[in-house]
Amino acid sequence: MADKHVHTFPGRYDEIQRICQFVADGAAACGLDATAVFHIELACDEACTNVIEHAYGGEDLGSIRVGWHCVGDAFIITIHDNGRSFDPDAVPKPSLPDLPEGAPPPDIDDVKVGGLGIHFMEQLMDEISFSFDGDAGNTLTLVKKNV
Amino acid sequence: MSIWQQAVGNDVWLVGVNGRLDQTLNPDLEQELTTLLESGKGQLIVDLSQTNYINSGGLRTLVTSWRKARQQNGNLVLCGLNGRLLEIFRMVGFDQLFQIYPDRQTAQDSLTAT
Repeated sequence: MADKHVHTFPGRYDEIQRICQFVADGAAACGLDATAVFHIELACDEACTNVIEHAYGGEDLGSIRVGWHCVGDAFIITIHDNGRSFDPDAVPKPSLPDLPEGAPPPDIDDVKVGGLGIHFMEQLMDEISFSFDGDAGNTLTLVKKNV
Repeated sequence: MSIWQQAVGNDVWLVGVNGRLDQTLNPDLEQELTTLLESGKGQLIVDLSQTNYINSGGLRTLVTSWRKARQQNGNLVLCGLNGRLLEIFRMVGFDQLFQIYPDRQTAQDSLTAT
């Protein structure tokens, strides 16, 4: 296994760009292309925003430990916090337009935007898994394949 | 990174976002749009030509503000999205949902024509 790069950041929104840069630099170093790096940045942003907003319930209430490493063609990111756990299956699924070509635009009132952050992570990454442990904290693992 | 606003005539207001539309800036955009809507300014263009990033919170802010605008018989349209932003909108089908124009002028024309 390649070296694992780990850094701990304060749980603040203005730190998220730095977290994304830390992970993006790793992804680029592992040979992922610019589009994949952009997808990874967005997924990390969503994950860390969720940690601050939902796990900690606000800024400066805990830290976020972020790690990355490459194994074969997989770029693996771990995001760890010590906040509240949650049931990913209980997060509402966003209701989004999925229209055939030429259909009229949907009505804005029919769109439900709850759960968009997890939806983004699922769309952007090849694998996503949560683990929750009352003592050890919460760990989100994101995997992006270098194709 | 900043949010700015400008009256562009015919009761149409332009709100611009310079920088990354993430959780450091989303509350400012939401506040700016809410303040305009609450003062009866319901015809809004959000100019994203200087915006290099948007996350799900930014999209939620735009959806919420558009709903508020519609409730007072107004409208909220977008202009100037770069390729990365459009990719994010397409990922969740929002390119079919929002009225998106290439530049301020066409966005303004669309609002003043209605």
